[in-house]
Amino acid sequence: MHVQRIQTPPVDLPPPGFSSAAGTAGATGDHILVVEGVGKRFGGLVALSDVDLSVTRGSITGVIGPNGSGKSTLFNIIAGTLRPDRGRIVLNGHDTTRASPAQICRHGVGRTFQISRLFGEMTVLENLVAVAHGASDAEAVERAMDLLAFLEIEGLRDKWGTELSYGQRKLVEIARALMLRPTVMLLDEPFAGINPRLQNRIVDHLEALRQRGLTLFFIDHEMRIVLEICDTIHVLAQGRVIAQGTADVIRTDPKVQDAYF
Amino acid sequence: MKSLVIIAVSAALAAAIPFFGSEYALSFTVQLFVFVALAYSWNLIGGYAGYTHFGQVAFFGVGAYTGSLMMNAEFHWLVAAAGAGLSGALLALPLGGAMLRVKGPFFAIGMFGIARVCESFALGFDGITQGGTGLYLTPVTDLKPLYFVLWAIAFGMVLMTWRLDNSRLGIQLLAIREDETAADALGIRTTRLKIGTFVVSAIGPAVVGSLYATYLSFIDPATAFAPMTELTTIAMVLLGGMGTTFGPLVGAVVMSVVNELLWSRFPEVYLALVGVVILAVVLFMPRGIVSFAMRRDWWWVPAARGSLRRLASRPSPSRTTPKEAH
Amino acid sequence: MPVVELLIAGVLLGGLYALMACGLNLVFGVMRVINFAHGDLLAIGALTTVTIVTGLHLPFFVAIVVVPLLTAGLGLAMQVLVLRRLADGPMIMSLLATFAISTILVNVAILIWGGGYRGLPGVLGGSVHLLGYDVALSRLVSFVVAMATTLLVWWFLQSTRFGRAIRSVSQAPELAVINGISIDMVRNVTFALGAAMAGLAGVLLAPTFASDPQLGARFGIKAFAVIIVGGMGSYPGAMLAALLLGVLEVFGGYWFGQVIGSAMLFLVMLVVLLVRPRGILGMGVRA
Repeated sequence: MHVQRIQTPPVDLPPPGFSSAAGTAGATGDHILVVEGVGKRFGGLVALSDVDLSVTRGSITGVIGPNGSGKSTLFNIIAGTLRPDRGRIVLNGHDTTRASPAQICRHGVGRTFQISRLFGEMTVLENLVAVAHGASDAEAVERAMDLLAFLEIEGLRDKWGTELSYGQRKLVEIARALMLRPTVMLLDEPFAGINPRLQNRIVDHLEALRQRGLTLFFIDHEMRIVLEICDTIHVLAQGRVIAQGTADVIRTDPKVQDAYF
Repeated sequence: MKSLVIIAVSAALAAAIPFFGSEYALSFTVQLFVFVALAYSWNLIGGYAGYTHFGQVAFFGVGAYTGSLMMNAEFHWLVAAAGAGLSGALLALPLGGAMLRVKGPFFAIGMFGIARVCESFALGFDGITQGGTGLYLTPVTDLKPLYFVLWAIAFGMVLMTWRLDNSRLGIQLLAIREDETAADALGIRTTRLKIGTFVVSAIGPAVVGSLYATYLSFIDPATAFAPMTELTTIAMVLLGGMGTTFGPLVGAVVMSVVNELLWSRFPEVYLALVGVVILAVVLFMPRGIVSFAMRRDWWWVPAARGSLRRLASRPSPSRTTPKEAH
Repeated sequence: MPVVELLIAGVLLGGLYALMACGLNLVFGVMRVINFAHGDLLAIGALTTVTIVTGLHLPFFVAIVVVPLLTAGLGLAMQVLVLRRLADGPMIMSLLATFAISTILVNVAILIWGGGYRGLPGVLGGSVHLLGYDVALSRLVSFVVAMATTLLVWWFLQSTRFGRAIRSVSQAPELAVINGISIDMVRNVTFALGAAMAGLAGVLLAPTFASDPQLGARFGIKAFAVIIVGGMGSYPGAMLAALLLGVLEVFGGYWFGQVIGSAMLFLVMLVVLLVRPRGILGMGVRA
């Protein structure tokens, strides 16, 4: 019997109203990201130990944990800037355990940085066009303008990277990663350090992206937001996964209460 | 458009000099062309890609010696210049592959070391290079062809930089300069671009090194690998503006004048002054004159990287009018 | 080949390199700045020594005391007027600044002392019998004073409160601030100390080698080679590498001549940069 694989179409903006079979909280979708038995130590310090998690295609998945829980280490391992000591990462069907960030990017992954790494002495438009690989200048500008419109920041087009406020940078980072037309977005603490109004705006944008078939994976420690938006949440503490599941499960899990309070 | 007009006018003026100018003007302009080529080459690797280094004179010197040896072997000076260019590229390829893996300041110092090593080799292997005595070449009878080759190279490099400034490649190089890690993580082919830029930045100095030796009819280690050349080049690009189309030109003109006034009579004063210029720029105007002017929208400075902005300003059917970001 | 003699000569030279390199290394460790002008402070130290002894007819030990203070002052001026303002920017700007300062110092030195070489005849002349070989007294004295100073500074860094403050700023500046250490003051003192060491090296060099304003370029760049080979930021690494490279240079000079002998140092530096960026002991900061 043939098992029909659920295809995720590339995220091509517009048209909106675009429907994807994988658009809903992927209960039956396959796993676009699998983390198996990952361990990492720095000298004497064990940052991660035996971490397993999987991310369903088309879902919004969050990893939370208090400071020192290892979530940044995990993120960096998934994004390719660190190599795990043990374990395996499978992303979009490829074993990316030892892959470099550039290779991971070519497998359809876009990422943002916790401390924004925009290209400072370039305008926002140039920041976006710089990563529009394979597109002509006209197409790249078109795509960039559409993304800026999608995130409601067209007015920032000609501003220099160094002129932007913290919140504006976060939005531009997201736009820049989206220029790659990724199937998976890795977001590094997208909600950190910004006011609740902007946080809600970003939540709306992420929801809209999920509607278009994108898989979103992020780490953060803003509990409220994570509980609100994620389909699945993994909680890390001291390098281990102590709880995983939907928001309701996490909210009531005593282990989580312990770790955080 | 403004840019092309500026280039065309200056090129026309410069082309007139061998016919209407004095001997002095000719020799000044020859030196200026050499510095323009050096400055624009350094601008590529230092200004655009962000890999500033102190060893560019290595390529100048290697080119000068390669060209001189070829000329002494009865090759025509043009062929020798091409050979010199090739030698620069061949040196830069493995060197770039190795050195560019090292972080900024170490790359800069490493290249400085390379320049000193090359100078030592030129001095030490005197069986080939005649060591400190230098190589004497048959003087060229008519300077005009030489002048125009240098003219073509100088303005060619300005044009090439103008095209680069308005291209995707230019933006990608700047991205490498601004944040190489991010650029790499976002799919820009940093290694390929770095090495390519480094190799291209070595060809210009090598070619003009050979042409300069032709012009002097002489080369020795001190002339080929002079710290003065390196310092002046860096000062020019810093002063004028790194990573811009006209920065190196502005810097080259200013520093050439200073060089002309001071170098032969008061070399120490000149060099100390170059040091002061570099220091002042680093402290007060790190992006140079041209960038300073661009930020303040002075009318005579053409906007940099204008092509993208023009594309974006064209009305598009699918887009609504832009809203202000909150 | 007179192995032992060359070995002795190499070690003696290495002692001087150790003093130079450790000063440079100290500055790098604390400030992450590679002081391109370090060698020129050495040159100025050497030339001032010549002036003090032959010009002012004062005894040599006056120079040993006065010159390091002078270069310390110069170093402090560099730090306070220029480098402090560039501390938060990209490293390359500080490097360019020290590059520029180096040029200024060299050329001002030429204007003051002229471009020629000056010796220091009659100071620490003669030779001494060591291990059955004749060794120049000046080289032996340089070695002893240089190594003693280098080891003294190392002791200072390891065992005194201020020394520990310096080390904590170089290893973890954020923590140092929390502990109430004034980073500015540590940087100022460190830079002055490094400059003093360079000046002292110049004093010790003057009786053995001919001094000229370009000495800095030749010697200074070798100090870079030493700290890269020893591992940037590693004090013991610099000491060891200094001795090794001193020996290497002497042997290389014997086999290939002066010029290539010097070039060998750079070649080793380049190889280390590429193959083992943390230095031979593997203790350095990653290049």
